[in-house]
Amino acid sequence: MPQILPNFSSSVKLKYVKLGYQYLVNHILTFFLIPVMVGILVEILRLGPEEMLNIWRSLHFDLVQILCSSFLIIFIATVYFMSKPRSIYLVDYACYKAPPTCRVPFSTFMEHSRLILKDNPKSVDFQMRILERSGLGEETCLPPAIHYIPPTPTMEAARGEAEEVIFSAIDSLMKKTRIKPKDIDILIVNCSLFSPTPSLSAMVVNKYKLRSNIKSYNLSGMGCSAGLISIDLARDLLQVHPNSYALVVSTEIITPNYYQGSERAMLLPNCLFRMGGAAILLSNKRRDRSRAKYRLVHVVRTHKGADDKAYKCVYEQEDPQGKVGINLSKDLMVIAGEALKSNITTIGPLVLPASEQLLFLFTLIGRKIFNPKWKPYIPDFKQAFEHFCIHAGGRAVIDELQKNLQLSAEHVEASRMTLHRFGNTSSSSLWYELGYIEAKGRMKKGDRIWQIAFGSGFKCNSAVWKCNRTIGTPTDGPWQDCIDRYPVHIPEIVKL
Amino acid sequence: MAEVSLTCKRTVISTKPVQPGKFCPLSALDRLMERNYLHIVFYYQSTVERNPGELTKKLREAVAEMLSAFPIITGRLFKTPEGHWTIKCNDAGMRMVEARAKGSVEKWLQNLDREKELQLVHWEEMFHKPYFWSTFYVKVTEFEEGGIAIGLSCTHLLSDPPCATMLIKAWADMTLGGKMITPPLFHPLPGRRPGNTNTNHEPYVELIDYYKLSIEKPAPVFNTKQVTIILAFDDEMVRRCITRIAPVESSRTPFEALAALFWVVVSKVKGTKGGLTNMSICLDMRNVLGLDRGFFGNCMVYNKVNGDGIEGNELCKAANGIKEVVRKMDADGIMDLIEWLKERNYQDLPWMNGYDLICVNLEAVDSYSAIFEDNARPLRVSYYIEPAVGEGQILIMPPPAGSRNTFSRVVTITLPEDEVNKLLEDALIQEFSPTILMGLNKMHSSTSL
Repeated sequence: MPQILPNFSSSVKLKYVKLGYQYLVNHILTFFLIPVMVGILVEILRLGPEEMLNIWRSLHFDLVQILCSSFLIIFIATVYFMSKPRSIYLVDYACYKAPPTCRVPFSTFMEHSRLILKDNPKSVDFQMRILERSGLGEETCLPPAIHYIPPTPTMEAARGEAEEVIFSAIDSLMKKTRIKPKDIDILIVNCSLFSPTPSLSAMVVNKYKLRSNIKSYNLSGMGCSAGLISIDLARDLLQVHPNSYALVVSTEIITPNYYQGSERAMLLPNCLFRMGGAAILLSNKRRDRSRAKYRLVHVVRTHKGADDKAYKCVYEQEDPQGKVGINLSKDLMVIAGEALKSNITTIGPLVLPASEQLLFLFTLIGRKIFNPKWKPYIPDFKQAFEHFCIHAGGRAVIDELQKNLQLSAEHVEASRMTLHRFGNTSSSSLWYELGYIEAKGRMKKGDRIWQIAFGSGFKCNSAVWKCNRTIGTPTDGPWQDCIDRYPVHIPEIVKL
Repeated sequence: MAEVSLTCKRTVISTKPVQPGKFCPLSALDRLMERNYLHIVFYYQSTVERNPGELTKKLREAVAEMLSAFPIITGRLFKTPEGHWTIKCNDAGMRMVEARAKGSVEKWLQNLDREKELQLVHWEEMFHKPYFWSTFYVKVTEFEEGGIAIGLSCTHLLSDPPCATMLIKAWADMTLGGKMITPPLFHPLPGRRPGNTNTNHEPYVELIDYYKLSIEKPAPVFNTKQVTIILAFDDEMVRRCITRIAPVESSRTPFEALAALFWVVVSKVKGTKGGLTNMSICLDMRNVLGLDRGFFGNCMVYNKVNGDGIEGNELCKAANGIKEVVRKMDADGIMDLIEWLKERNYQDLPWMNGYDLICVNLEAVDSYSAIFEDNARPLRVSYYIEPAVGEGQILIMPPPAGSRNTFSRVVTITLPEDEVNKLLEDALIQEFSPTILMGLNKMHSSTSL
């Protein structure tokens, strides 16, 4: 039986059966309610108005009863509204756009690599092979300190980059949302690899003269998924503090982390990581309900650190020459796949429509009871979401997720194009991808978005947003000058 | 007195990506110049009070914009299957060095010599694998007490002095106003105009022979250290010189007059017998070939002037000799040379500046219109055609002050040190009262003889 089923499912008839089943299960309540309402209506019409009035008078309504009932109703309603978690709105966000003078074409990158690693031609060739297959374009940007021959990653240069990226993003955000610095109640900055004293969040407080009773947090060391961790933290804080604004800044400062040695596994981040940052304004204020772009629905965090292999998969260490770099292990993709499965198992019941959940349940029961050889049913997430923002960690990550979640090319287009235009900007890449979807005019009211990020640890975090209002094509933003050139075909290998 | 300290060295990228797969082939005239390279220094005063590094940043941003129009500069040298150099426009960028110097630019200019001036340019010899070698180098030096010097070094394979000046002018336009007044044009040298073929035309044999000889000569011997001085001749003196050599003033150009003057004097200081010393003149052929001002590439042609039998003080005959050669270097003659070069397909590299005394006509080079900031014309522009290994070099350049119709000229002379001393004391030179802009270090600055 299982062998015949796949052939069947490609036939058109079964497709309509599937559609009908989905429609039935997802709207089951409506299907029950309608006959009941029709029944009542028929009954009312049959009885006629005088009968209705008689029935009404036969119910002896007492003043005390009426008062008690109404108080009960009001009490229950109040309890319900008070205990409902506050809605978290994303008012707006802004992404950093690097100046074109920071652009790094492939040939410049390779030339610098050859000049600096002149004693290690094998490492240079390795970098070239990575770059050819990376999926990056010719317009990704590195900070000025890395353009020097040799690169000069001083602390001053790192602070300079941090100021440039973070302040530009925040300025842009403040202009868009017309918010004043003194209105910000919560500030969360996440930057994994650069953590100076005073912290980057203190730097923001100093620059914008934020209030002295601000709740500021600085998350470092949490990898590329730290952006969603910050959103999760902001959400929890906004539950506790009513009527507040939370400013979340996600970035990765490249300057101090440019690996200057020649170990191959540690040269990989040099080829992929690029300058970028995003600033996001979250609010739990009632009045932002109409102007906010998105509403946060779920955040699901999965941590596989308990497994040793997953823990060591992205590991910062010194190479034999004493140069510090990030070592990426060879089974990164496998571990990422497992982390994703774990995350999906948690998020599935929260977001999937009843039809998919039932199918999954049936296949699960079937595998346990009838035949373990049945293929596990992968729920169709395309029914739960209209848009997908997959962290642009690298071409391999996007390919893997596209395969696992059975997504079409259009679903992963935002991720691939962000990787091409901006490179791997770590925690802020999700926001560039969201910006791409908006710039293409595809975001409509009610659309659901799934942001997935992977990070060292090994973590897989997801956030689900719902679009609050149809978003018109923006007149600013990082994609404004180049969106017309996208989508662009990215060849498997770019010959250098 | 002033010291130059390096701040950083980086690669500047154009703001717009280059379309992949583009190549800019080099012409026959380009390929001859492989052994030579240029150094050009532009000096500017500060007009506005600025923080250190601020002007350099502005210049850097402007140069990135400018490079979008010059993909040939951000490309790299690449040999075609036939063994010729071409540029693969791979968007690799141009090297830029930033430096700081003590003192002010005016003080620097007063006490200058060749070695000091060359501290303001950055140059790297061609790598064994030229695919990773930048062909252009820019050095921006900010003077702590005011002023800035912009040094450009480039291989002569890609550009001659007028072309390099055009590049700086484009950069200046971009910094000042955000757009280039003369955008560059990249196209091969023009072919012979079809309508003008004269079937009885004799090929310009002397020119072709001169090039043939230069290509086949062995490498020159570098033994004497050469020094460089710069003299300025004002309008009245140049006119006097012209009247000396010709009855009617308008029949001789300042170039011919000054070239003849220096030919005669240098022969005297070198002690040449039986005529004047071997000299070749180098002329810009852009107007002759009808090329647009934005043409990018080499277009200067060398030719020998015959000094046999001319006695020591016979300025008129010297000038006549020069004029004769200038007249013969017309479009047809140059076409003959270009066609011969293309046919010959030589593989040996000549030393075009390596033997005779070279006299280069840079009068038409518009260096003083490269204005980066409002109201700041260059204080001075110096040119060096390297390596200086021949008998000597005379470069005749336009004057710093504004007017274009004046006959005043600035002359850069590169000769062995003892010959320079004798030249400065020569009566004929003293007759025209030049101002010494850059003398031998021992001499006091800015004195008139």
